[in-house]
Amino acid sequence: MKRTIPLFLVFIFGIMGIIPFIIPNPIVQGTDEFVRNNLLKILAAFALILGLGSLLKVHMDKIRRRRQNWGYSWVLIISFIITSIIGLFGGVAGTGILPTTIGSFSFDVWTIYFNVEVPLGSTMFALLAFFMASAAYRAFRARSTEATLLLASAFIVMLGVLPLGERISPHLPSFAQWIMEVPNVAGQRGILLGVALGALATALKIILGIERSWLGGGGE
Amino acid sequence: MKIIEILTKIDRRIIYLILLIAVIVPLLFPSPEKVRVMPPVEKFYYAIDKIPEEKALIVDFDYAPQTAPELDPMGFAILRHAFKKRIKVLVLSLYVQPLGLARNALTQVVAEFNSAAQTNADSIIYGRDYVFLGWQVGPILAMLSMGESITNFYKVDYYGNKTDTLPLMKQIKNYNNVGLLASLSGSDIPKYWVMYAQNRFGLKVGAGVTAVSASEFYPYLQTGQFSGLMIGMRGAAEYEEMIEKNLNIKSRKKASESLPALTYAHLVMIIFIVIGNIGYFIKRRKK
Repeated sequence: MKRTIPLFLVFIFGIMGIIPFIIPNPIVQGTDEFVRNNLLKILAAFALILGLGSLLKVHMDKIRRRRQNWGYSWVLIISFIITSIIGLFGGVAGTGILPTTIGSFSFDVWTIYFNVEVPLGSTMFALLAFFMASAAYRAFRARSTEATLLLASAFIVMLGVLPLGERISPHLPSFAQWIMEVPNVAGQRGILLGVALGALATALKIILGIERSWLGGGGE
Repeated sequence: MKIIEILTKIDRRIIYLILLIAVIVPLLFPSPEKVRVMPPVEKFYYAIDKIPEEKALIVDFDYAPQTAPELDPMGFAILRHAFKKRIKVLVLSLYVQPLGLARNALTQVVAEFNSAAQTNADSIIYGRDYVFLGWQVGPILAMLSMGESITNFYKVDYYGNKTDTLPLMKQIKNYNNVGLLASLSGSDIPKYWVMYAQNRFGLKVGAGVTAVSASEFYPYLQTGQFSGLMIGMRGAAEYEEMIEKNLNIKSRKKASESLPALTYAHLVMIIFIVIGNIGYFIKRRKK
């Protein structure tokens, strides 16, 4: 029973997800709209709470078992609590239920967002440039014909997208564009078709109950 | 032997330092670079430019602060273009994180236009000229549900107003009243707009993406599923160029200003790759 009901629900809702794309009947479309605008919205909200609960549980467990880098789990939990308190009482833009403003400093979600998240996120991404430069210097070698081709096309595309490329040759940006539009698209399309067919096969296997690993316990 | 050592074993701190200088110096002394506008951006520009008066443009801000330097200038340029042409604009984010960036862009561009406005008709008014729909749970739900009714899915806007009371939303009911959706994203979101909103409702989609992810979006441009494609800082600079040239919008060109830093950073990387390869070939020949 523990397995039959979820499998049955997946089958029904899986089919219901496909049908509205191929049958424009008003009853089918209306049912689809009801499911999306009512049931799925509520489910998504529950999934959000479940996700947050799971995140906290995983990190609490990590702290309890003193796993590697467990100290960072404290950072996550403390940040989570502080952000939640500020969000609940300070609101999004200082419009919360409690006065949370000291001078011109407002304790609200935007203050955290613009003063913590934006600089931290930008810093993390900016560091990538340095690691990429160092890694490219060490690893990007013309060891084989394929690697040489990759290297040459990388140089052309890099120079082609920069204003400098145009100064080297007015044809360089167009050539870079051609590399992206022809050989790149040929490869990408092959990958896309492969991924799409794979996703279709997996989706069908899940809907028909052949693939059951998502229930936990492998393919039993 | 010594040359090989030098060429193949440059300390990573030296690489970091040179790259840092290459990025910082051009940013300290900004000089906007002129760029040639390539067809994907040109197509994007005209797709927005030709939106009929009775239809709206949806701008989907779906990027985190990490990718904001590349995608923010695109958002600013598109909003400037739309407001200058008096195209009705709906702004939304499918995830919570980009909401602040969307709000920032809207606030700044609206303020720019309103500071130059002489009359109420010249001004950009909330509810009449644009609406900030904000965020609702479930990205794919939003894509599908807006095809039937935007106000049914976004019952309230970002500021808590009931959407069905806003004058603009009385005209813009679903995708039939939308001329184009501009999806600015650091992830796969533009593809999902094609899969769900375009395939089912025929919504036209244009994409603004980061340079690092650009290659995977070209197939959609080639098939015509994307009405235009803006790629990274260069794409944003091209769009800035277009709005300056065609609409005479004289505002700060953030992407064009950042291009020299990008150029020097790429040059540094190319030089180091070449040095590394020279060292590698000398070493191989000696073996």
